[in-house]
Parts: sequence; structure tokens; C-alpha cells
Amino acid sequence: MSQAQTGSMAGLKPQEVAFWLGKAVEWGQTESPDTQRDTCLHLGPLRAFLQLLLTDIHMRSSTTETMRTIPFVGQFLGRLCWNPYVTADAESRSLLLQSLWSLYSEEPLNAVERKANQWIRNVLCQLATEEEDSATHMLVKHMGLPPKEYNVKVLRKMVWLLVEKVGESCSSLADPNQRCSCDSVLAASVACVPLVTCPETAPLIGALLQRPVTCDKAALSQDFLDAVSSAYSRKCVSLEAQAVVSLWCHNLASLEGAVMSLLDSVLSNPASIPHNLESTITHSLLPKACSQHGSIFLIVNDIFRSMLVQVEGNQTLLSLIHTFTICFLRELAALQPQECVSLKAFFPHTPQSLLAPLLTHPSEMAQEAWPEHLAWITASLQRLTEEEEEEEGNRGQCGVFEAWFLLVQCADWLEVASQLLVSARPQDCGPLLWLLTFYHHPTNRGHHRTQQLVAAREVWDHLRSLFLLSAPPLPADRLQSLAELMSAVPQQPSLDSLLVVSLLGNFAVFSHNPLSGAREIVRMVVQRSGLVREAVCVLDMVELRLNRERASSSLTDRVTLRTRALRGTLTHMAQHDTHTHGTT
Amino acid sequence: METIVKNVERTMELLAVSQTETVQRWDKQTLDRVFQWTQYCQHVYTRFHANPTVRDILEKQLQVTNESLRTTFHGYTDITFSDLSQCQHLLLVGLLNNAAVPSSVVKLLFDTITVGGKYKDATGHCTELIEVKSACKVLSAIHLKRSTSFPGPDNDVLGMTLMEMLDILLSPATGGSKVGLAEKLLDNILQTCGENENFSGVVAAALLSRKNDKTATTTKMASEGVSFHFILDWLQQHHSLLHNMCSTLPIGLLMDLHQQSVRFRVTYGDMLKQWGSQLEYDVGEGEWVQMYTTDGVSFKTLSDHYRSLLGACPSTKEDVERELTELKVADGDFDVRGLSVWGDLLSELNKV
Repeated sequence: MSQAQTGSMAGLKPQEVAFWLGKAVEWGQTESPDTQRDTCLHLGPLRAFLQLLLTDIHMRSSTTETMRTIPFVGQFLGRLCWNPYVTADAESRSLLLQSLWSLYSEEPLNAVERKANQWIRNVLCQLATEEEDSATHMLVKHMGLPPKEYNVKVLRKMVWLLVEKVGESCSSLADPNQRCSCDSVLAASVACVPLVTCPETAPLIGALLQRPVTCDKAALSQDFLDAVSSAYSRKCVSLEAQAVVSLWCHNLASLEGAVMSLLDSVLSNPASIPHNLESTITHSLLPKACSQHGSIFLIVNDIFRSMLVQVEGNQTLLSLIHTFTICFLRELAALQPQECVSLKAFFPHTPQSLLAPLLTHPSEMAQEAWPEHLAWITASLQRLTEEEEEEEGNRGQCGVFEAWFLLVQCADWLEVASQLLVSARPQDCGPLLWLLTFYHHPTNRGHHRTQQLVAAREVWDHLRSLFLLSAPPLPADRLQSLAELMSAVPQQPSLDSLLVVSLLGNFAVFSHNPLSGAREIVRMVVQRSGLVREAVCVLDMVELRLNRERASSSLTDRVTLRTRALRGTLTHMAQHDTHTHGTT
Repeated sequence: METIVKNVERTMELLAVSQTETVQRWDKQTLDRVFQWTQYCQHVYTRFHANPTVRDILEKQLQVTNESLRTTFHGYTDITFSDLSQCQHLLLVGLLNNAAVPSSVVKLLFDTITVGGKYKDATGHCTELIEVKSACKVLSAIHLKRSTSFPGPDNDVLGMTLMEMLDILLSPATGGSKVGLAEKLLDNILQTCGENENFSGVVAAALLSRKNDKTATTTKMASEGVSFHFILDWLQQHHSLLHNMCSTLPIGLLMDLHQQSVRFRVTYGDMLKQWGSQLEYDVGEGEWVQMYTTDGVSFKTLSDHYRSLLGACPSTKEDVERELTELKVADGDFDVRGLSVWGDLLSELNKV
């Protein structure tokens, strides 16, 4: 208790207090544009200080103690209550009100507390009901308008007028001698910092963001952009899609924030993909922004690339990139023809020979043409990897990485390759297996690719023989070896288990043996290897791809039914497992 | 009808109670309920303010209730029919000024705004009010170029509301034209707020609101002219207001009105002539000045007005020039400065 008596304010430094007290007085004295600007620019730090103050008040045991240790608090809060810039902003207003309520005593013990209570009630009453202009109030009453409705309508009218003004293009475009009014746009954006969270002013925020930057002076204040960006990431502001895109154009940090937020939400919740993936991505508005601004697409891809390097072999991430690219291409196709930019601009680092073939979607060509197309792609990739292995230095590495990255983005072709492997003849399976191996093991570290190809061929052989058998019982030895191949032994360079699961899934879905047989094989293999979740994922991806190719594929119905049935078996298995054995 | 009367009565009782110590027992449900009742009363006002029959019934009932509440509640303020539109505000004022209201109830009013449903409850009501009022103040401080947009958003809102009210009162669709009520409305406003400069701004805004209304539906168009002309007629009888309006409105907007309405052209033209006739020539200064009225218009202002008229369109130019010439002729048709304000105006206008 003696600590309180010495007047030390935990967390509140005297200089800070003096600074903010001074500011509150200064802001209350004049209403010049400079003080207004000053208030807006200090809004962020003010919030932090108010938070500290609130914490401090909460630490005190009573209002009497608070008034003794931080006597300035009443005056300070009182002044801020009458500052519209502070009260317009949702967070500052909330902190202000919370602080006031913290000073309120339910059971006042002495005159100080009673007085404080009375003062608080007065302030609140005045804030809510005081009519500045009694003459206007009379007019409002005559018009039969409830005061709140009147205020809302006036606000909306003001917003509308300002939106019009902001929408005017720079007048100096028409007449270079005329001084344009664009610098007032900057002033307006500063003044709007406290208003980013107010729902009624959202149209104005959007208009400011979307104003074409045709003139040097028509810049938006950085504080404004930061405020909008922060409010957007906290979901405290509703902006229309184009305004968000404009925000990202103006402010790189907000774009990066949005991408990281998307990555976070997807990578931290892998169970929800792949079905929700597309809607999550579209909802983020990033594909739309990418289609309208190539620079945004390049930045997003850069972030994806660095994530890929950080989290190697993460299937969720690979699926995300793939689905993102699909959404992006869809948005691009929906743009007006004159806005279309050549694809080369969006993929500047990719080896040109691979760009067109990989970006062409499987559904855009006849199924019969698939094998040849894939053979061509594989040959190009093989050539590229061989060239780079011969070359020394970093330059070579980039080409292969970019090619692989494009493959990840256009992973539909990979799934096509898996599907083709089901019915391929032994002499044709080479390139397809190479492609799969390359996808899962892009770097030929330790030159293990040859071994991996051999292993892949083995898996394919096993699967083929298993699924071409028409009658049970299933050869246990084959099942065993298959399961072994799938359980990765960390030290040895082995085949990616996902590759095997993916092949298994495709075989189960696309082969022609009876469903019961396929089910049995899948069940046994997956059970022994423990990769239930991965198998379910594979089946989901197959189904999604088939949905995308609905129009062109003739296999759809039979195959979809099989996919669903198999998925059902696996999900059932997973539930059973978690009950009896715990999570695998 | 009986239900409505009963409900209004009940709300009045609640309003009276809200200012007493009984509110100590109020909680969230009570608050929400009372709020909904006040909203109901506001709705009743909107529906029936243009319906004299129902309005009469309600006003009579209000008188009765007022009397009984006066005896029960010490310091009771009467509630009239027009107060019904302000019901929620009255409740708020009563509650916030009443120290007996539990702090939990007050806290509800100032709670963070929740994105409410259709029938918004009382939670966050005051917070929203503060937000809106603060936002208005912040925005009004933003000065963009040429931002002196007369008549200003507040007068704009009032003006539009006035026009809407007149539309309802004067439109044949709502059961007969109630010119009497409409006149009474405007007279009332003038009586209580006439001194206020804003009122002429509101009237101007009302007239101008039809200018932008290009998307008027057919039913609206029928009354579009009616309300507009009604206001002009009424203005003719309240000359000082008309004078105030014409002298404070930016000339550009007067030109808009001029273009929009033949009636207004006549009114405006008469106004200008009157202004001109009030000017006297001060031989000492060599200028035309206002000798007898304090709020008269200067020679320069008058010539500005006429200059704009000349620039409006060719036919107007002809008419105005002819008119001025006729007036000059009536004054003797001298070309000497200082003898006829009209002659001097003409020479001023012909200078450029």
C-alpha cells in the first residue's frame, strides 16, 4: 500500500503522462486543420497509452486510490470525451468508456467517489443527448425526425458529398495551369483515420482507396493506409472487393498480411481442405487482385516460393498453391479482353517452353492427346534437369525450381499422369513415373533419382498386379511389400509415401476391377501403413479434379461413385482407429 | 385504433416512470421493451401525422393521459403528438438524467455496438449515437476545394424531409389535399424557428431537392410540381424569408431554380426589381446605396444577380434586357449616371 502512497504509477512514465496531458489540452483549445491532423496522426499511440491507463486504473483497489495516485485522470478523460476524433474511432472510444466505467463505484464510500460517479453520469448524458444547436433541434422536431435518424441521414449525406468530391479526377489534367485540389485528398485521408471502423463511412474509405493516382499530390496518407490495413485484418471494416484490391496496391504490408493470413488459416487447419480450399481462397480476394495487377501476382508467388523452401514437402501447401492458381486463371479469363495481359508477364521466370503446355488445362484437350502432351512436358523437364546438373553455380538451379513451381501450380497434369498410369502399358509408364517422382522429389540431392525411379516402378508393378486380379484372395506378399514401400524409413532415401498413396488412390478409382476388391486392397494397405488421412486427401483431390473437368470427362459418374465409396471406407476406418488405437 | 391508443398511453406512462426511482428495478429486458415501445410510437407518428382524423383522436387521448400523469408524477412534462416522433430521444434524456437508473442499465446503452438484427435492442444505442455525431464533426472539418456546398448536408436532410412531408400532405393519393395542414406546418416552423437563419437554408434545400430528382416516378412527378409551387406560394406571403433566401443563396443555385420553374422566375424577377427600387443614389459617394433598410442588397450584388441572369440563356437575356430598358425608360430614359438605377445597371452590365 505504501507503493500507492508514494504516487508511483506502474507502467505510466511521468514524461508520457505529461506529453499526453499536454496533447489533450492542445487538441481541445483550437480546431485548426493542424490540430486535427495532429490528433489523427497520434491516434495509434494514444490508444496504446489509454490501454496502459486502463490497466493502471484496474490495478487500483478503489476510485479514491486512483484519484490519489493519478489525479490527472478525470481531466484527461474528460477532455478526450469531447474530441470527436477520439470518440469516432471504435477502439479509442471503447477504451475511453471502459476507463470511465472503471472509475465508477457501485458503492461509493466517500464524497470523492460520489462526486466521481455524478461526473461520469453527467458526461455520458451530455455525450449522448446534448444537442449542440437548439435551433436545429427545433427544426428537426418540426420535421418529425427522431434525432438519431436525423444524425444518421446527415452523416450519410456528408459521406455521399465527399465521395463525389473524391471521385472527381484531378483538374490539372484538363488544364495544366489550374492548381488541382488533389492535396486536399491527402488531408481528407488523414482526417478519415478515425473513421475506418465506422460502417457509415465505408463508402468514403472505399472511394479514397480507389481514387486513381494520376497526380503527384494525390497520395494517400500512410497512417490512413495503415489504419485501413489493420482494421481490415481484424475484420473491423467492410470494404467492397475493388477497394481491398486498391488497398493492396497502395500498401505492400497489407498485401503481405493478407497472404500470410490465408496461409495461416489453411496450413493450421489441414483437415478442412481440400473442399473448402477454393472458397477460402476466393473469399480472400487475392486471386481477383492478382488478375488485375500482375505485380500483386508476382509478390504472392514470391511469398509462396519462400514458404515452399521453408516447409518442404507440405502437401497442404502444394494443394493451396495449385488451387490458388486455378482461381487466379479463372479470374483472369473473366476479365474484359482489353485488360488482358499476356501470360508471360505473370510468369516471367519460368522457362518459356513449359509455360504454354503446363498452363493449358487438361480439359482443354481431348483425353487421347494427354499421353503425348505429358510425354512432351516430361521430356522438357528432363532436358532441363540434365542441363542444370551439368552446369555449375546457381543459375541452373533457378530454372529447375521455376519449372517445378509451375508444375505445382498446374498440378492437374500431375493427377492426369497418375490417372494414366492406371491403364498404361509397361513401355509407356516411364515418363509418367518420372514426372511423379520429379514432383515429389524435385531436387536430385545425392543423385537418388535413379533409385527412386526404380522404387516407383516397383510400386507401379505391385499395384498393377493387385488391381488387375479379378478374384480374392489377395497375395499377402505383394500387399506387404507395398505397405513397406509406403512406410518411410527416415535414414534411407525412399520414395515419398504420398506418391505411393496417390498412385494407390488413382488405381483404386480408375481401375476396372470390382469395387469390393479395390476397397479391400486399399483398406489393407492403408491400415498397414497408417496413412489414412493422406489417402482420404488423395481421394478428395481426385473428386475435385473430376468436378472441374465435368464437361469433358466421360468417366465421371462411375468414377465419382467409386471415389465416394472408397472415401467412405477410409473415413470409417479412421473413426474406428481413433476409437481403438488412438490417433495414428 | 383502440389498441394504438392504449399502446401510446402505455408508452407515455413508461416515459414518466423512467424519470422516477422505480427504474431501480429495471434490467436489460425492461430496457429493451421500453425502447421497442418508443420505436412503436415513432412509427405511429410517421403513419398518422398527415391523417387529421386519427391525429385528432390521438391528440385528445394524449391530453387526457397528460392530465392523469400530471397528478401522479411530480414535475411531469406534457407530451404532445409531435413529441411522439422524438420518443426515443425523450426516453434517453429521461434515463440518463435520472440518478436512480442502475449503472448496469446505463452500461448497456454504452456497450460496444453489436451488429443488430432488424429490431435493434437498446444495447449500444448511445455508443452508436456518439459514433455518428463524432463522424459528422470529423467530416465537416474536411474542406475540399469548393466545399462551401450550400445548403450544407444538415439543411439538405431537413429540406428533403420537408418536401417529403409536403408531398404526403398535398398529394391527392393520400386522401385529399390538406393545404390547410401544410400551411399550418410551415407557419408553425416559421413562428418557432423563423429567426433562425437556417430556416431559409432549409426552404432553399427543399426547393433544390427536386432539381436532382431525375429518377422521379410517375406518382411522385404528379406532386413534384405541387409541393414546389406550394412553397413558392407560401414564400410570397412571407416576404422577409424570401428576401433572406434570395440574398444568401449562392447565385448559381438561384439560376438552377430559375431554370427549373417558371413560377420561380417571376418571383425572383419581382424580388430583384424590389431590391433595385430600394436603392438610392448617394451623390456624395457617387454610388447607389441602401438608405432605409439595414438588410438590403448592395448595387454590386444586384448587378451580380442580373449578370448571371444574362448569362443563363439567350431568351432570358433578351427578356431581362428588355425589362431593364423599359424600367429605364419609365424613369425618363436619361443616360446620365445617378438618375435611374436601371439605367446604371444596364451600363454596368454592358461594360464587360
